[in-house]
Amino acid sequence: MKGPLAKTAILLVGMYVFLKFILPLFTAPLPASLIFLYLALTFASAMIFYTMSGGSLDEFMGPVGRFLTGSGQAGIAGTARILVFVLFPLLVGWQTYTRLAPSDLPPAENRTIHPAPPGEFVGLANPYPRTPENIMMGKGLYAAFCSPCHGANFDGKGPAAVGFNPPPANFSDPGTIAQLQESYLFWRIKKGGVGLPVEAMPWKSAMPRWEVELPDEWIWKIIMGEYDGAGQSPRTWEEEE
Amino acid sequence: MKNHGIFENLKSFVPTVKPSSLFGWSVLWALVLLPALVWAQDAATQAMSVEYRDIPGLGSRNVVWVVAQQHLLLAGFVLGVPIFAWVCEIVGWKTKEARYDKLAKEFTKLLTSAYATTALFGGILLFLLIGLYPKLMAYLSDIFFPSFIVYCLLFLLETATLYLYWYGWDAMQGNRKAFHLFLGFLLNVFALGIMVVPNAWATFQASPVVVAEGTAIDRAWAATWNPTWWPVNIHRLIANVVLGGFICGAYAGIRYLLAASQEEREHYDWMGYVGNFIGVFGMLPLPFAGYWLMREIYQYNQQMGITLMGGFLAWLFILQAMLIGVLFLGANYYFWMGITYRIPGSERSYRRPILAMLVVLMVCLGVWMTPHSLVASLEEARKMGGTHHPLLGVFGVMSAKMTVSNLMILVTFMSFIMYWRAGKQETAGWAKIAKSVMGALLVIAGIAVIVLGVWGYFVPAIIRINYFSVAQVLIVLFIMLTFTPLTAILMKSAKTTTEMVWGQMPIRAGYALVSNAVMVILLMSLMGYARSSSRVHWHIYGVMRDTSDYAYSPALGYAAAFMSLNTFVFCLLVAFIFWVATMGDKGKKTPDQKEPEPAKIPAGVTPAMAGGSPREKA
Amino acid sequence: MSEVALLQLIGLTVVGLGICILLFIKAKFLRVVGFVVIVLGTFTLIALGVPQMASLPPAIETFDIAEVKTPDDLAAIGQKIFFSKGQCALCHSIGPSESARCPDLKGIGAKLAPEFIYESLTDPQAYIYLDFRHEGLPKEYPARMPYIHKNPIALSQQEIYSVISFLQKMSGEPISVKVEDVMNIGKESEVEVASLTVNGAP
Repeated sequence: MKGPLAKTAILLVGMYVFLKFILPLFTAPLPASLIFLYLALTFASAMIFYTMSGGSLDEFMGPVGRFLTGSGQAGIAGTARILVFVLFPLLVGWQTYTRLAPSDLPPAENRTIHPAPPGEFVGLANPYPRTPENIMMGKGLYAAFCSPCHGANFDGKGPAAVGFNPPPANFSDPGTIAQLQESYLFWRIKKGGVGLPVEAMPWKSAMPRWEVELPDEWIWKIIMGEYDGAGQSPRTWEEEE
Repeated sequence: MKNHGIFENLKSFVPTVKPSSLFGWSVLWALVLLPALVWAQDAATQAMSVEYRDIPGLGSRNVVWVVAQQHLLLAGFVLGVPIFAWVCEIVGWKTKEARYDKLAKEFTKLLTSAYATTALFGGILLFLLIGLYPKLMAYLSDIFFPSFIVYCLLFLLETATLYLYWYGWDAMQGNRKAFHLFLGFLLNVFALGIMVVPNAWATFQASPVVVAEGTAIDRAWAATWNPTWWPVNIHRLIANVVLGGFICGAYAGIRYLLAASQEEREHYDWMGYVGNFIGVFGMLPLPFAGYWLMREIYQYNQQMGITLMGGFLAWLFILQAMLIGVLFLGANYYFWMGITYRIPGSERSYRRPILAMLVVLMVCLGVWMTPHSLVASLEEARKMGGTHHPLLGVFGVMSAKMTVSNLMILVTFMSFIMYWRAGKQETAGWAKIAKSVMGALLVIAGIAVIVLGVWGYFVPAIIRINYFSVAQVLIVLFIMLTFTPLTAILMKSAKTTTEMVWGQMPIRAGYALVSNAVMVILLMSLMGYARSSSRVHWHIYGVMRDTSDYAYSPALGYAAAFMSLNTFVFCLLVAFIFWVATMGDKGKKTPDQKEPEPAKIPAGVTPAMAGGSPREKA
Repeated sequence: MSEVALLQLIGLTVVGLGICILLFIKAKFLRVVGFVVIVLGTFTLIALGVPQMASLPPAIETFDIAEVKTPDDLAAIGQKIFFSKGQCALCHSIGPSESARCPDLKGIGAKLAPEFIYESLTDPQAYIYLDFRHEGLPKEYPARMPYIHKNPIALSQQEIYSVISFLQKMSGEPISVKVEDVMNIGKESEVEVASLTVNGAP
């Protein structure tokens, strides 16, 4: 088996095996949508490369054309051709059936993790200075109110965390609070899961609405303690001195 | 409640008064609140207090959407083509190659009919807006009235200049060519003004500033200088060049497919090449302008920034990445096909570099299109521990996207340089050193961009945005600004080893050019939707709320259907304009006159643009 | 049939039409049209394939200033006015910001007395140093601050005081604006807040 067509097929199969079976050995398995995207890009590359010149185009498309028209196909090739012609519509039918068949699985979700906060929270700044006392107090409050879920190490692995899906945010991950301003945290803590807009799926967050229990001052200090404890700094427009 | 009060704040007083006294109240408040509007006393009449009208069945917003998009795309075309034509005219004048002049004239011919069509859609849009959104339009006219006048004046000047430029084309050859070029310059200046003035109205809606008391001119001036005005101006100006270039390419592509004679095939092959060249040239700095705009929006209002980048519009940027990816691939594909088809025997030697560039482009595109929050079923999400993949999640953030888009620009620039140099042999003594220096610089630049991108994960966002991303952009710009003149100097003394053969491109090339134009138009529609829906439920962000039934932002699929419809209608309109404008050409050719002689290029003159000319003889 | 399914059906039909054109029609221009139609249809289908999410406007919430009981309630109203109707945030920021064109208001409630803030809002020209950097008589610097109690912003006195209490709160100060005083200013108006996200799905 030589020629561009075979190479493309081998490349695609290799790519699929790598993404589906080899990569999960080292990290979490990829969702099907992503595997499909990468395979589509691989296929597009092959198409582009082999249609670059007349010669390679013929090499690439020739076997396809011969296969479809059936010219010079005898013996095993001829049988394979008929087999494909029978099986392909069945495959399409099966695909369509599985897409439409009722299933007990919820549909694939696309939750916006960091939705836009309401206007009245956007421009707030922490009114309390970053003094060791304030940070200390914030950490104390964090230990009392937040650590059961978000963890004593600010890693989202508190004793109660296992009960939640999606899991509580991991503050030591640079993709969470380090990407956000303090005002954003203030909003999320104060209004909780139910305060999320619809695209963030408020029904998928167990975060309590802390405004009913904590005064604003405590919330601001918890935010300070959180950043300090997780070793992150809030996103600002001012440069740190 | 809808019929009472022209302004938002008026409404707050309505519930407290009895319906019978509403009439009196609205008169009183209109008089108190709107002294600046001369017709305020009419506000009492029922007609004046209408806030919205609807078109039943179609929906007022849908109608405005289609008409405004057509107007904007046509305007982009009408503003892009003069830039394109003027550049071609200058090139033709400098190099004394008549076919550039001919090309410029061919496109200017389109302008008169395209211009009328644009104005027609502008008029329809204006009537629709006045009729359908009276509340908003009253507010905007109150603030911007002086700039309406400026806009009208600019229109008069632009029209006069356009007529002089087009009808004086043949009369102003030779000695008076310089004056004609000056007219072309003026045309572009007025066109820029015509774009910049309405941009202020649109950007004020997205990023309003407080308009204090003062004269009408003061207020209009203050509102005009809103934070996103210049970023949008620059972004649209560059995008118009890209649109003009790729539409020229698509036109040439279609004419190439339709061509009957070898002569025509050669001409349109060359024209498609020039269009693609200008389109790519404009496209390379475009992401930087877009990045600047995005940054200004983020700074102006974080809420708006998050809505765009991380909020409900986040998927739109994945679609944008896809379209830009297809555009970059299409442009490169055309370049690469140009090498293999126009330079006989080059296929073998260029196979490897093309494959390498393709792989880099595809890897970059893969990273760019990997979303931050993945679409995953419940089972998959559980395995990943959320919708962020532990390993591939790093591709989702800005640092990665900036890096790969810079790399894609670098690669496209490389393939452009490669095409330029294909089939030529440098003769200058320092060519070898220059080439190795350029190669080394390119490798260093690529590594530097990647290093900055990776490093960007470990520094605070502000450092990354202010220094790292800017540094990446500057590195790429530096490469483009040094390599272009250097290669031009090298090519000046180069001898041609293999002749370029024009008119040999396969049918695919024509379709690639059409696809590029469609991608650009789709991108403009898509990002127009993004710009407009980032205001969410505000007419004027934070100032005037949209209280109509259409205050919601539609889902992406619905919006995409409209974008596709708009793109299709626009393509048909442009095709019609081209058809009308070229209808006369066929009638003119009498049997004994035939095709005009292909222009002779004086010996020793290097071709103005990369790739040479169809009849180049060393 | 849902809207998405309908649009998908249209998209598929259009793509199918394009493929038919490419298969059976020889006229070059029509073939290009077919090609464009396939590209656009595919784009629409892809856009329909990603998760669909419309953004609904938050409900317009009106509430009565008479229900204000504590200074914190007042500050909460002030917060909403600051970021919407009052248009304060179009220029001012609380905390440093690159985009702010006017003074940073962080800690302003601790620095200035409420009466002074009230004066600055309603008579911006009142307390500005004179400009001596030229010959002749000193001139007044023009204040770029609009008169907040006049058009076009036109906040009521109560609204201005609620903004002041919000500013005091954002300075980490106890709120010195008294709720009773604000209540006694007048009972004529209700505060309507334009930008307010309701809890949960709208």
